[in-house]
Amino acid sequence: MNSTAALRGATVVLGDRAVLRDLDLELVPGITVVRGPNGAGKSTLLRALAGLVPLSRGSREVPARTLYLGQRPQLLHGVSARDNLRFFASFRGLSIEGVGPALASWGLVAKDAGRPVETLSAGQRRRAALARIDVERSDLVLLDEPFAEIDDAAAAQLLRAIRLLAGERRAIVIATHARFELDAGANRVVHLS
Amino acid sequence: MTLTRIWRIAARETLAERGQPDGLVAAVTFVATLILVESLAVGPLAAGQPPVASALFWIAMAFAAILATTRSFDRELEDDAIDAVLALPGGRDALYGGKVLALMALLAFVALIGGLLSLVLLSLAIALPFHLVFVIVAGVLGLPPVVVLFVTLSLRLRARGALVPILALPVLVPHLVAATNGTAAAITGDASGALGWGGLLVAFALVYSVLGLTIVPTALE
Repeated sequence: MNSTAALRGATVVLGDRAVLRDLDLELVPGITVVRGPNGAGKSTLLRALAGLVPLSRGSREVPARTLYLGQRPQLLHGVSARDNLRFFASFRGLSIEGVGPALASWGLVAKDAGRPVETLSAGQRRRAALARIDVERSDLVLLDEPFAEIDDAAAAQLLRAIRLLAGERRAIVIATHARFELDAGANRVVHLS
Repeated sequence: MTLTRIWRIAARETLAERGQPDGLVAAVTFVATLILVESLAVGPLAAGQPPVASALFWIAMAFAAILATTRSFDRELEDDAIDAVLALPGGRDALYGGKVLALMALLAFVALIGGLLSLVLLSLAIALPFHLVFVIVAGVLGLPPVVVLFVTLSLRLRARGALVPILALPVLVPHLVAATNGTAAAITGDASGALGWGGLLVAFALVYSVLGLTIVPTALE
């Protein structure tokens, strides 16, 4: 199976500690779940794939259309959820037409989508961030603890979105402590220690 | 493509400043207070001396630039918004240019308010108004490239608030001297002086911008 992304011999050193050491990881279309105890390097692995931390050694190959959603919503304060998502879409050269429907499908009605993000609840901000999955339709989607701060309805929708992406031959990497039912449908479960 | 992305970052920054105008408000308040105190404490006669008025105006502008830029990046760090930009293809390259563009626009507005206040409170008589506009525009162009560069370099440091003025202000000294002399020259009617200092300011802006565009994407790694 052709790989979508890969880390080869990747070593990430933060401060004086090697968080990842000589890691080889091939990501193929479908779901990859990353598990491990706190401090094992799950978030660092995703950040390394997203290009947010430099590799001390090794190489990284990722598609241009990579979406990284971190543990926090990554939406700029002072700007509405709608305008935040419009920015991401237009920056990638995508149509902004899908932003409104995507936010609505994640439970943000027009009134909420137009409010500055700092006035939304944590759960609403997380839903707005997750709506980027539908807007940006990326080949590689990196999700760091995506089930945090969302209610059961949003979690169910996220699971559906993840399965839909996997069905579209996209690669999804999920770092999480929760949702062990994901493991059954995953191509691969990576355990970091 | 990069220019389009720079433009998108600048537009996003402007939207954020419109929604949360604390950077602009802090900068305008700072500049207005300094000019008001200058006119009241020193008196309009002494304060209205072209070199004195110009120097204080540009010192105020330099601090206003630091205030507004620091606030802009504080906002980026809330909810890790900056990570989303850096993870976008070309985001790292466009961030610096976009921030510089947006802050130039913001500082132009602050300079307009500060300039009008100086005219009124210090009773300044401007001999060469168009030359003055040229010098102020050139001066404003040169501030954000330096300040954004140092704010970016110290982005993840806890002492960022203290470090940025310590790092940026010494580098800005030649710029501030040129801006002060150019402004004073325009006020007193020295056309060649105003154009010469203004040209130097444009050169500073270009050099700092090229430096920033080269250094910042690597530094953000």
